[in-house]
Amino acid sequence: MPETNIITTIGPEHYLVLSALLFSIGMAGVLLRRNLIVLLMSIELMLNAVNISFITFSHYSGKVEGQIMVFFVMTIAAAEAAVGLALAVSIFKRFKEVNIRFFEHLKG
Amino acid sequence: MTADVFLFWFLAFMTIVSGLGVVLMANPIYSALSLAMTMISVAAIFVTLQAYFLAGVQIIVYAGAVMVLFVMVLMLFDLKHELQAFTRGRATGAIKIATVGILSGLVVGAVTIGLTIGGKNQAEVASATKAAGIVDTTRGLSEALFLKNVFGFEALGVLLLVIAVGTVALSRSKGGTHARD
Repeated sequence: MPETNIITTIGPEHYLVLSALLFSIGMAGVLLRRNLIVLLMSIELMLNAVNISFITFSHYSGKVEGQIMVFFVMTIAAAEAAVGLALAVSIFKRFKEVNIRFFEHLKG
Repeated sequence: MTADVFLFWFLAFMTIVSGLGVVLMANPIYSALSLAMTMISVAAIFVTLQAYFLAGVQIIVYAGAVMVLFVMVLMLFDLKHELQAFTRGRATGAIKIATVGILSGLVVGAVTIGLTIGGKNQAEVASATKAAGIVDTTRGLSEALFLKNVFGFEALGVLLLVIAVGTVALSRSKGGTHARD
């Protein structure tokens, strides 16, 4: 088996590793940040990483079903951003700060 | 090194660096700008994977609509300073970083090992891709979306309506931006 050069031959594994790295960066943001807006941005990063892997599999298997799923993920992401930002505004109006430790006081 | 190989490495570098910028910037407005850069890089990666229509949708929906939403809300807040941008406590922070590291190592290792074992089939996959040869991607996409997956499409429409009504109700409730007095 001839040794293919990993630098000069781009295969699906390159895109998948890129997607995994982007997902991990987004997960680090969700775990480490306290600002609600940055938290939502990190969730968007994770959704984008998933989109990259969907499109990679769609391209390398020659089927369009993966791209349909990306449409659905994009719609859900937009809806989630709208609801999350409305909640963030509601937190900020009451506490003058957007920090997730105020989520527990939002009841009632 | 051909042009598309260089393009992939350049786009991967841009995506990772701007993604790190989202997480590491202390000021949220810089995070938002880094996120816009990430979205544009991801759209370019879609172009290199020949998903042209989705690249356009990515730019319009994410880099356009969602980013404007984020930046508008940030302007509304007027965050001059941010106290305690990251979580408190060294021990829990170390545990969280270790969790992320283990997860990313597992994912990258699984992907590489899986593709090395399945490497024999790669030539077949490549030939199948060439044979399938989605010539007219946008046409194939619309046929799959409106003929085969039309139920999911309509369900998403209903979901968006529910989300819109719910968000308006949330902003009209006590503590929202347009609260009734």
